Amino acid sequence: MNKPALPSVSRRTMLKSVSSGFGYVAFAGLSTMAADAKSSPLAPKPPHYPARAKRVIFLSMHGAPSHVDTFDYKPKLSTDDGKPSPIGRLAGAKLLGSPWKFKQHGQSGLWISSLFPEVAKHADDLCLIRSMQTDLPAHPQAYLAMHTGNSQFIRPSLGAWTLYGLGTENQNLPGFVSVKPLSRNGGPQNYGSAFLPAIYQGTRIGNEITPVNEARLGNIKNPRLDIDSQRKQLDLVQSMNREMLEREKVHPGVEGIIESYELAFRMQGSLPEVMNLTSESAATQSLYGIDDDTTADCGRQCLLARRLVESGVRFVELSYGDWDQHRNLKADLSRHCLAVDRPISGLLTDLRTRGLLNDTLVIWGGEFGRTPHAQNGDGRDHNNKGYTLWMAGGGMKPGLSYGATDDYGYEAVINPVHTHDWHATILALLGLDHERLTYRYAGRDMRLTDVKGRVVKDVMI
Amino acid sequence: MKRLPRRLLVTSLSFTGLLALALLSHPLNGQQFAPDPERAFSFGDTDLNGKLTLAEFRELVQNGARQKQAIKKAPPNIESLFRRLDTNADGELTVAEYRAIVQIRQGMMGPVGPIAKQKVAARKPETPKPAEIAAFPDKPITAEQLTFFESKIRPVLATKCAQCHSSSAKDLKGGLLVDTKESLRKGGENGPAIVPGDVDGSLLIKAIRYHDDSLQMPPKKKLDDNIVADFESWIKMGAPDPRVAQPLPSTSASSQTSNEKRRREFWAFQPLKSTPAPKVKNTSWPRSDIDRFILAGLEAKKLKPVADADRHALIRRVTFDLIGLPPTPEQVTNFINDQSPDAFVKVVDRLLASPRFGERWGRHWLDVARYAESSGKANMLYSNAWRYRDWVIAAFNSDKPFGSFIKEQIAGDLLPAKNDQDRAEKLIATGFLALGSKIHNTQNRKQFVLDLVDEQIEVTSHAFLGLTIACARCHDHKFDPISQRDYYALAGVFQSTQTCYGTLPGLIQNINPSPLIELPTTAKLPTAMPPLPAPRRQALEKQVADLIAERNALTPDENMTPKGFQTRARLAITRFRLASYRPDGTPRHYAMGVQERFEPINSPLYQRGELEHPSDIVPRGIVPVTAPTAPSVSHGSGRLELAEWLASSENPLPARVMVNRVWLHLFGRGLVASPDNFGAAGQSPSHPELLDTLALSLRDHNGSIKSLIRQIVLSRTYQLASTHDDRNQEIDPDNTLVWRMSPKRLEAEALRDAVLAVSGRLIIEPRIGSAVATAGEGLAGPFRNFGDDNGDQHRAVYLTLVRDQLPESLTLFDFGDPSVVTDERATTNGPSQSLYLMNNTFIIRLSEVAARQLLKIDDDQARIKAAYLRFLAREPTPAERTRAAEFLNTFHDGGDTSDRLKSAWTAFCQALFGSAEFRYLD
Repeated sequence: MNKPALPSVSRRTMLKSVSSGFGYVAFAGLSTMAADAKSSPLAPKPPHYPARAKRVIFLSMHGAPSHVDTFDYKPKLSTDDGKPSPIGRLAGAKLLGSPWKFKQHGQSGLWISSLFPEVAKHADDLCLIRSMQTDLPAHPQAYLAMHTGNSQFIRPSLGAWTLYGLGTENQNLPGFVSVKPLSRNGGPQNYGSAFLPAIYQGTRIGNEITPVNEARLGNIKNPRLDIDSQRKQLDLVQSMNREMLEREKVHPGVEGIIESYELAFRMQGSLPEVMNLTSESAATQSLYGIDDDTTADCGRQCLLARRLVESGVRFVELSYGDWDQHRNLKADLSRHCLAVDRPISGLLTDLRTRGLLNDTLVIWGGEFGRTPHAQNGDGRDHNNKGYTLWMAGGGMKPGLSYGATDDYGYEAVINPVHTHDWHATILALLGLDHERLTYRYAGRDMRLTDVKGRVVKDVMI
Repeated sequence: MKRLPRRLLVTSLSFTGLLALALLSHPLNGQQFAPDPERAFSFGDTDLNGKLTLAEFRELVQNGARQKQAIKKAPPNIESLFRRLDTNADGELTVAEYRAIVQIRQGMMGPVGPIAKQKVAARKPETPKPAEIAAFPDKPITAEQLTFFESKIRPVLATKCAQCHSSSAKDLKGGLLVDTKESLRKGGENGPAIVPGDVDGSLLIKAIRYHDDSLQMPPKKKLDDNIVADFESWIKMGAPDPRVAQPLPSTSASSQTSNEKRRREFWAFQPLKSTPAPKVKNTSWPRSDIDRFILAGLEAKKLKPVADADRHALIRRVTFDLIGLPPTPEQVTNFINDQSPDAFVKVVDRLLASPRFGERWGRHWLDVARYAESSGKANMLYSNAWRYRDWVIAAFNSDKPFGSFIKEQIAGDLLPAKNDQDRAEKLIATGFLALGSKIHNTQNRKQFVLDLVDEQIEVTSHAFLGLTIACARCHDHKFDPISQRDYYALAGVFQSTQTCYGTLPGLIQNINPSPLIELPTTAKLPTAMPPLPAPRRQALEKQVADLIAERNALTPDENMTPKGFQTRARLAITRFRLASYRPDGTPRHYAMGVQERFEPINSPLYQRGELEHPSDIVPRGIVPVTAPTAPSVSHGSGRLELAEWLASSENPLPARVMVNRVWLHLFGRGLVASPDNFGAAGQSPSHPELLDTLALSLRDHNGSIKSLIRQIVLSRTYQLASTHDDRNQEIDPDNTLVWRMSPKRLEAEALRDAVLAVSGRLIIEPRIGSAVATAGEGLAGPFRNFGDDNGDQHRAVYLTLVRDQLPESLTLFDFGDPSVVTDERATTNGPSQSLYLMNNTFIIRLSEVAARQLLKIDDDQARIKAAYLRFLAREPTPAERTRAAEFLNTFHDGGDTSDRLKSAWTAFCQALFGSAEFRYLD
């Protein structure tokens, strides 16, 4: 068993959280083959400079939620509701004032709409970036750009870069987990490792169409053998492997196999336990909205995310959608916001209570935003020129609204933040210099930010 | 999805407007208003044969009209229109014929057939004249028109529009550029700004008339009425415009000089050089020149090769390396007992002659060819991709000369064929260019074409030259002597090529379908489809009729609903299924591949690779990076010339790149350690003379890959043990100098095949088709997953490969992403692999099968010995026998004790499958 890696997580919590997996851990100990923390490519690595965030929870809102109805308050849009839009691709289309009321919240006075009453209670924890921009207003391209910095070529995902840069704290669990990822819009590329070693790719739990409580990780349990017999079988395998290693003296491949068997064996014990949400108290489950059908699935995702990071997973992404409201904005946006508001609020509360928020970076956002003008009367079109996402904890300035779009929310006009800048900033919060985090591939030192990216220091503590 | 504003539709209710509808890029959802006859054509071609019948044409026009919701009734003159377009009167329209619809629309064609015929004929000179891609056919500008433009039009565009709508605008509005003829016609986000000849249909006119509240330009003040009238006259006369795309300053003289210098000097571009094998000190060690080159390298560093491999290791190594399967116990025993001096030669020749050889080495090539059976992203199925797979396997089995191997993949359609069989095979070979991943929902057709061409440039240059020419799409190559002009010259070659990948018009997200190539009837080809008996045909015909009725009954509101999409998709799929049978019920055979475009075109150089910024037109041609001097292209696309140039014995790169790949697969590391890059950003060869010697040998042996492999595996170097050596390790840790055989991890396919083979369950016959071939053209998706391979007992090379739905037995073990060229796979050993081997039902089931086989043997000691021989191609040591026996005697799986023996043996076999020794080659 490795040392509990998170200072904020006690050994007791750690053991408790893997209680039913203790057998695997004990067996791993007996076999004296616990992963060697130094030789593993997943071993924790020091960042380039002191990190503000140690881990990330990325709440990926696919389909592109409307910013002008949620976190980007545009009074003039309401005033000019119904007038022809003077700007944008479809200049002349009718402006659509947000059907929802905005209000200032907390000490910071951030403007948040009535769609997010629970998240709004955390206004003083949030840092709104209201001047986001991305290159293309099409889902597949923008979703890939958000995850990999590139929609043209296959590139490693943000989580894979993070894992490559920092390793992970708990050698009993994968370092990067993607919960319910999309199969479209680039699918596995969005949590893939591309040219980085495959060990850095995200481990998928579930898929878009399966509720989290039905999600299973592939091959995690032997359908026939109990733990004793499997350990006995594995001991045979490992003794053969060790003999081979002795014969060959130097063989990184065989060493890798030996290590990964032990991690896999331990994962069988710890991962299902981490995924077992029923061990949480009723109060906690309720905090995340698991007691309500409307919020249950997103709530489970959020709770799982907390349990994973708490257990030492470096990067957790969860996906929720679909926020693509070309029509039925009023009904559908309300419905989606209702489904995520309480769970996300619960996550923020829980992280704070457990002392994890300070060094856990929580990111909420979609691949782009939506137009101020109406589409189909009650809908909004894609807008890549200006949108909002927010980040909290992990070294972000709390209660800050950064950047701004024009009067209608169409285009970022003050302090625009491109997806490359956003990536550079996330890496900076993790203590990684986006220009130094490179990997040699195809004759080039590749970066998440390619040749671009600027750290937005103003949003960092 | 963006929808077209209704008012645009209402204004186009004239006859020309109706034709505009037929020309729409996407008749289904009207996402874009850029007239593109080729795209419209592809939507009408429901049987993917590259031609429109009258019925298809009628439906295209009528259905286009219906989809637009603007027209209740299609006009009565569809048939006469069809006859006018059908200039050769064969009852079918080709793309070239169909394109004349643009002239009709612009009033440039006469009113009746014969005249139109003459005009079209006149426009097609003997030698096809290059035209810019998707440019509108145009007459030369007259002097009078020029004066009009210069005095009345250009000044207004420059002073009233350019501030927001030019390449020099600080903040480009609406994506519209008024800088050039082309950009104005292409228009911006709302579609073309002008439609020559159609005053009312030109958005620019609409904007400057100030009649519509929503579109008024210039925004501050309406132009004087006489200026508006000038523009109207100008549009009426066909919008004659002398402004060609802005010329880009040509590549500077100094950079050209430096490119020439780099071509002259850089090692990879130099001709192959013959070097006599070097003298070595230890003359008794080498068996061949390969050994002399290697030993000389070692001796220079004062290293000594390790001992030779023992026979057990050797036969296991060479069998996996050559055919991707483990040797059978008999093969092991025979080799061990064969005392003749040519024992190993016999083994090698047996393996090279095995049909399994092509399955192994063909798979290596399929990695390079980024082979898969769907498009990725929107994931259209490529139901004929498997024919290319089988062509590759057959090419390696028949030892097709390397030159032909290159030429057929690039230009098989243009090569002479001996007979229909040969013709069919050469067409199938061009699938290489067609089966890359594509973004089928790209709205801008031109963007789609440029991306497709870019992918073809990438795969071609990467596969055959080891160069990254695609880097020069946006700028001159940073490292290699390849200018952006070179890129667009090559782009012209591929833009003049029609890529036939199929995919059905009518499937949601597919706005870029293409025809397929129907193969000659008389060619003997396998088929993945059962014949269609008459009753079944009638049933299908009825289904199609019903679906057409159902589609026609869709209300405008239903068009864009799931119901609408489903109806159209079912119609498209059923109709194509029907079309893919001949009248006698036998299936037609199709291939993916390429053909010459009806008219070759030259590409503009796109500044920064951006569609919005076309610059000089570059004559299509071939990147002259190495000898021989690249041929000039005058006729046709230039693909044939490209193929000849690549396959020329004077061209040193393809042979070097291929030899390096062969070496890589046999030694685990290339002589050039960057097999994907032979340019300046790649690595220098560790043994340049050996590389050239082998490349020359490949050339001298008529491009025989088998001879090359034979020559290498018979060297003493290949037969070295994989033993570690401290001193050598210290000086040469990566084994660059080949002082031993590097241990190699089995690839995903070899591992899976080995598990099946050892347990006796491998179906050795090639699989015909694949699950995708059986499914037919269509769409993969979350509810239609092709990734589960647990029931498949064929060799892994035949597994269904749908992009984004790859089987985990492959992906977990570092199968490359088939969207890109893979020269060298990763070799990871992550926990997900361990979990697979520990817990996957496929592995467990086959362990049990293997156990049952072993249990047929009488006693445990004999069983243990047989197991080691089958699994690891060697006998167990006494210690291993003892340990195995102990395990087998004491193992309980906690279940029923009566079956304890079987479960113990199952666990034991699974342990062997999971052992590092099984997963590695020494």
